[in-house]
Amino acid sequence: MEVMMMLVYDQPGVMQRVMGEFNRKRINVETIVVGKCEMADRARIVLSISDREKALAVIEHLKALQEVIECDLVDHSRHEAYALLCNKEGVCRLTGSVDQVDSIVKKSQPEKFIQAMNAI
Amino acid sequence: MKGAKAAVELLEKQNVQVMFGIPGGVLLPFYDELVQSDIRHILVRHEQCAGHMADGFARVSRKPGVCIATSGPGATNLVTGVATAFMDSSPMVAITGQVATGVLGNDAFQEADSFSLMMPITKHNYRVTDPKQFPETMKRAFMIATTGRYGPVHVDIPTDIFQADITDEQMKKEVRVPKPRRNLSELLDAVKLLEKAERPTIMVGGGVIWSQAGPEIMRLAEMLMAPVVTTLMAKGSVPENHPMVLGVCGMHGRQVANYALNNCDVLLAIGTRFSDRVTGKLSEFGTKTKVVHVDIDSSEIGKNVKGRVGLVGDAWTVVNALIAGLQRRPKASIWKERILQLNKDCTCDYDLRTDPIKPQKVIHDMSKYLPDDAIVTTEVGQNQMWAAHFYKCYGKRMFITSGGLGTMGFGFPAALGAKVARPGSVVADIAGDGSLQMVSQEFATAVENDIPVMICLLNNGWLGMVKQWQKLFYGSRYMASKFAGTTPDFVKLAEAYGAVAVRVERQSEVAEAIRRGAKSDLPFLIDFVIDPEEDVLPMTPPGRTSVDCIKGRCKWKGGVT
Repeated sequence: MEVMMMLVYDQPGVMQRVMGEFNRKRINVETIVVGKCEMADRARIVLSISDREKALAVIEHLKALQEVIECDLVDHSRHEAYALLCNKEGVCRLTGSVDQVDSIVKKSQPEKFIQAMNAI
Repeated sequence: MKGAKAAVELLEKQNVQVMFGIPGGVLLPFYDELVQSDIRHILVRHEQCAGHMADGFARVSRKPGVCIATSGPGATNLVTGVATAFMDSSPMVAITGQVATGVLGNDAFQEADSFSLMMPITKHNYRVTDPKQFPETMKRAFMIATTGRYGPVHVDIPTDIFQADITDEQMKKEVRVPKPRRNLSELLDAVKLLEKAERPTIMVGGGVIWSQAGPEIMRLAEMLMAPVVTTLMAKGSVPENHPMVLGVCGMHGRQVANYALNNCDVLLAIGTRFSDRVTGKLSEFGTKTKVVHVDIDSSEIGKNVKGRVGLVGDAWTVVNALIAGLQRRPKASIWKERILQLNKDCTCDYDLRTDPIKPQKVIHDMSKYLPDDAIVTTEVGQNQMWAAHFYKCYGKRMFITSGGLGTMGFGFPAALGAKVARPGSVVADIAGDGSLQMVSQEFATAVENDIPVMICLLNNGWLGMVKQWQKLFYGSRYMASKFAGTTPDFVKLAEAYGAVAVRVERQSEVAEAIRRGAKSDLPFLIDFVIDPEEDVLPMTPPGRTSVDCIKGRCKWKGGVT
């Protein structure tokens, strides 16, 4: 799994334009985290994609977008995962390495869960 | 000042002298301000043609063409014009009106989400929702259109922005747009490859037209002893009467050009994206060739053809860097001699003096009788390929065509835009009867605005290229490709709009009609009734290689390897 981090302008339409490039290249995005960051009026987008070659192919197109300030793959050592698990007992929050979170989610077989990758 | 006045002032400050468009409800405040302005507004009859005219204007003037359409249907009609410009990297600022921000998203009358519609077919686009940012948005639009790889930029302006107050301070705000970085780190590798090449070939694409790098490329070609082949988009960038310029390559290209592509050991590709119409079967293309790929857009390098040396930068700069870097004498003299001979062999006589008229004859006479600074535009289909293959573009001649999107109905409005940009030159549209029927309403625009272009209609009563494919690949089962009888009567149609028109049915009258058309002060249509059985040949079938080329009349004996 590859994780891509983008620094973008925080304005309407940015996600549509960024996702449009993935759509055009027929790349399924596995997980997305978007949020505010240390700079005002900027946001970070962290995406995970399963195919490294496809990820590299789309980066040049993303860099060409006016709203994208930076875009690069993140080194595997900095990949993190988090998840929210839910079953009868309640909600459980998980953060940790990708392998850890993966194995706990699999083991605990929750009723519902959401899992995403993140990196900084 | 009001937003509408600000819009007009911003356009004037960008040195916009002409714009193409149609007004509508939400644009009325803007058009009201245009009354006071010196900007020439050309009222078209369909927004798509406003886009093509701005495109044609941009390709000749090398400045962004400006087109404008109202909200909803105006914007959706404009889409084809913008997409055409996008695929051919033509600089354009497309403005659409939009319903007021207060009702945006409520399905108001004439509302369409043109911001989303235009997003994938523009280099960038804006929806202005804050009047404070309106002036800088407009400035950015013009800068983005002409920075790096050119392209269309769309600005969607809700009607209340035209009514809002804009301060002088906002008007004065300076903006900057990041320039794409050059990357010449592989220059040495490229130079080494080229120096060692025994059979080098240069392939040039549309980027060379925009960068005006033709003379430098010819210098480099002479240094390398390399022939130059062009893509459809690059036709006119290098002089086609030069013995080392082999003409257009690809599906309907000249055999000698495809021969050079198939047999070179090092291919220097400049400003081209290796379209499928050039490469044929992609997996077979350049398997024996080392490719040096030069493009201003880093995302193009390695997109279609892998395993290459990539240089990112505009054609002119990179070619000059290569010229400066070359030291060793190239070893390609045997290759050069062979290509010179083959190019001579590939030159056939297509002054076909038979009736019914052969389309090649019409193109031949246009090549011969049009002045050296003539601008030729084409529609899309057989007319385009005959023009690309047989028309000789050299000197100050220009060739304008919809190569990427392949938009039928492009040539006529683009010719009008080109003529507006360069009124002193003869501008001729090589048209087909299918294409012309898509935009024939623009005769009104041509006559009304006094834009005397010549339309050389190759009329065979068919959607010719569709017919050709049905004939070759679908067992001659013709479906929806023939037009019934002689409808419409194009001569009467043009005359109804106030244009001049003649019908030519004999080859002996072709030259005279062209000479007359070139001198006309009014839009001039020549309805050449051509042989409907004539196909565009040679042709490499789609997805195949030159081995499978269908030659027809072509007498090429050079073979494939």
